[in-house]
Amino acid sequence: MKNTKTILPVTATGLSVFVLAAILAMVAGSAIAKPPRTEQQMAQETAAYLQSVAKGDALWHDGSLGTNGLACGNCHPDGSASNPHTWPKYQTNLGKVGTLREMINWCITVPMQGKPLAYDSEDMIAMESYATYTHRGVAIAPGKDEQHGAVPVYGGPGYPAP
Amino acid sequence: MKKISRRDFMGYSMKAGAATMFTGILAPTATSFFGYGGIAEAATRKIKPFTFAVLTDAHLYDIKNHKFDGFLEKAVDDINKLKPRPDMVLYAGDIGQSGKEAELLKGKKILDKLKMPYKVIPGEHDYYLDMGKAWRGLFGDEHWSFDHNGAHIIGMNSILVPDFWSMAGLTPKERMGRMEELECHRCGLWGVGDKQLEWLKKDVKNLSADTPVVIMTHSPLWNYYPRWNFQTHDAPEILAILSKFEKVVAIHGHVHQVVYNKMGNTVSAGLLSTSWPWPYPPVDLPYPDIRMNRVDPGDFEDGLGGHTLDVTAGFDGTMNYRAFSDLLPANVKRGIKL
Ligand code: HEC
Ligand SMILES: [Fe+2]
Ligand SMILES: [Fe+2]
Repeated sequence: MKNTKTILPVTATGLSVFVLAAILAMVAGSAIAKPPRTEQQMAQETAAYLQSVAKGDALWHDGSLGTNGLACGNCHPDGSASNPHTWPKYQTNLGKVGTLREMINWCITVPMQGKPLAYDSEDMIAMESYATYTHRGVAIAPGKDEQHGAVPVYGGPGYPAP
Repeated sequence: MKKISRRDFMGYSMKAGAATMFTGILAPTATSFFGYGGIAEAATRKIKPFTFAVLTDAHLYDIKNHKFDGFLEKAVDDINKLKPRPDMVLYAGDIGQSGKEAELLKGKKILDKLKMPYKVIPGEHDYYLDMGKAWRGLFGDEHWSFDHNGAHIIGMNSILVPDFWSMAGLTPKERMGRMEELECHRCGLWGVGDKQLEWLKKDVKNLSADTPVVIMTHSPLWNYYPRWNFQTHDAPEILAILSKFEKVVAIHGHVHQVVYNKMGNTVSAGLLSTSWPWPYPPVDLPYPDIRMNRVDPGDFEDGLGGHTLDVTAGFDGTMNYRAFSDLLPANVKRGIKL
């Protein structure tokens, strides 16, 4: 396997379903129909998304969100145990049914003694991008109290395949 | 301050599961580990029983009154209060976080409060700022061995990686920064290297096969999850050198969790940190019953702790995890037979 950090799996089926939906919308004469995007446009969108993942990766690891030297990566390598596929759910530390973003802020403010991010900020979205990207392909399990070790990564320089 | 803990609330599935899962299948015994029907046990030379303590992975920061300072102090106090007092303390690496001398010095000052002798090996967090210079200045040799009550005890530096920094033109600080990330993408797999293998060969050459051997490394001597360097690439060579012994007990830090394995004549146990716990990586555990519960992130001490290892006359070891919080399923709490 390759170092999956560098590739985004846009599947052929996902693509054709989208194109089909776009064509159907046009045939139906829907006012919100968009013309099918070009490959170049889609590549740009993918790049924008991956940029958000990369930004999240950096914030996850550089400790800049906290004040005590800790980074999310200290305790959540590869995004593990952030369990993005389980949210929203009841989380005891939040004391209610909450969202992934609320829990991200909880970990910023409690174990890392930092300032919470605005929920709609670019940084918060990047954090969510990284957490979900490291769990791509994992079945969503809302409400489930489960710990997930993130998607296994075997590739990369020096790292053998299984 | 602590209201209802997350674990109390959720009734933690692990615990509930553990209760049913483990009835009848208690921690395996030394005989079942080796499958020799007790031959291994009988063949190992009788020694004078002893207890030693193990601490690891304090990850101290060069920040005043950092919470991790207190956790190492707590573990040291805990060991000092034990009666009878353990004969010695082994420390399995990652005293510091960023390899700074100030971190290592802070750690040494705390460890010096131990009322028994202690021996240390380096972890990657101690090392890659100055390639172990400050560490060696404070703690001495990176590998060592000594005899105690008839057992042979070995410590080795298992975190040596091939040079990834010179070609990339990294500063020492950048090099350390990369190694600080568990999932360092460009650091490669680590091991003890040929020099230490040669040393190990000589070190055990004149020991008889019935000598009980304890070996401590920072990383596990088996391929657990290479992505996080939960491995030692030349572990097979180490195990081959030690294969002449009836029984070897291997202990390792770095994983910040309870984990267990056996490889031929060797039983291996992972250690709790005094900084933060790690979730289990996305691979199957070889002994899934020997694990810790999930951690309550609202309780900073949860997932942390120290250890004592009891060694009997027949070299039946028992690993006792001394978790700060209520972390361990009952079978682990009773002590893991090594
Ligand atoms: C000092 C260690 C530590 C740090 C630093 C830390 N966390 Fe956590 N976090 C934990 C622990 C322990 C859990 C509980 C894991 C579990 O549920 O098994 C947790 C839980 C979470 C959860 C909820 C998981 C669940 O299913 O309930 C999320 C999301 C999370 N952390 C995100 C983050 C993010 C994002 C950061 C960085 C801003 C961060 N954490 C920093 C220790 C830490
Ligand atoms: Fe560590
Ligand atoms: Fe380590």
